[in-house]
Amino acid sequence: MEEKKMTERESLELITSMIQRTRERYIGDGNILLMWGYLTVIVTALVWIMLVMTHNPAWNWLWFAIGIVGGIATPIMSRKSDLKSGVKSYSDKITSQIWTIVGLASVVATVFCFGFGLKGFNAWGMMFAIPLLIVPMAEMAQGIIVKERSLVVGGAIGLCVGLFTFCCIVGNARLLINWFLPLFMVAFACMMIIPGHVINHKARQQR
Amino acid sequence: MKELDPILHSQLRLAVMSILMNVEEADFVYLKEQTESTAGNLSVQIDKLSNAGYITVTKGFVGKKTRTTCQVTEQGRKAFEEYVEALKGYLNL
Repeated sequence: MEEKKMTERESLELITSMIQRTRERYIGDGNILLMWGYLTVIVTALVWIMLVMTHNPAWNWLWFAIGIVGGIATPIMSRKSDLKSGVKSYSDKITSQIWTIVGLASVVATVFCFGFGLKGFNAWGMMFAIPLLIVPMAEMAQGIIVKERSLVVGGAIGLCVGLFTFCCIVGNARLLINWFLPLFMVAFACMMIIPGHVINHKARQQR
Repeated sequence: MKELDPILHSQLRLAVMSILMNVEEADFVYLKEQTESTAGNLSVQIDKLSNAGYITVTKGFVGKKTRTTCQVTEQGRKAFEEYVEALKGYLNL
């Protein structure tokens, strides 16, 4: 493209063409979703196996690996993804802010659980319900914004599991590891692993 | 009839502004690819838009490489909207 004068009609056509190009931009990648999905499923499987084999509740400390590893990896991967695409759209900005809120809410929830623990109450069961309530809502919002059905469907499945978990906690039904942890893994696979692969597949096709 | 803004009524500058109006920010490489322009020409036009106060240009580093990011300003947004309105007038839209 050179710097030249145009007719009014050419100007309008150029504007339309550039708007079209920004709309057809690179869809993004599902790598951050995949990282969180696989990390959560692997850690859950590890905790489950170790609790069943050793009956030692100390293995529950492994849950913190999800927050620590994911919390460190996410900004690094996000920056890499932004640099790769070279552009940040308004929807990128909104979804990034939504996920930041989810991250902060998770930190606050963890602090509350610690606080309850110090007062002799065990509130850690809520840490299963909270990610299955907040994360799916954020994911569905993202899916609606970027028009990606796999995120909406995955989020809806996660939200159903989250509401079920919440009802179990409120109704004093015990979340037994032999059925709840596999359910937790399935929910995260539906919420993050499947949509992550779907998005990566679409991105590969778009290139 | 209102005169078309000479800063915007130029192919490459208008292309850059049209892209930036639709995104939060875009880097130099992305703009170069989308406008299919040369680095030298694009750089000159970005400077003109920046000097007119229509865009802000941020230069940073990614490792050892420089990264130039452009973002439309409120003044640029207003000028673009007025430009489109003026175009509609010329084309009787």
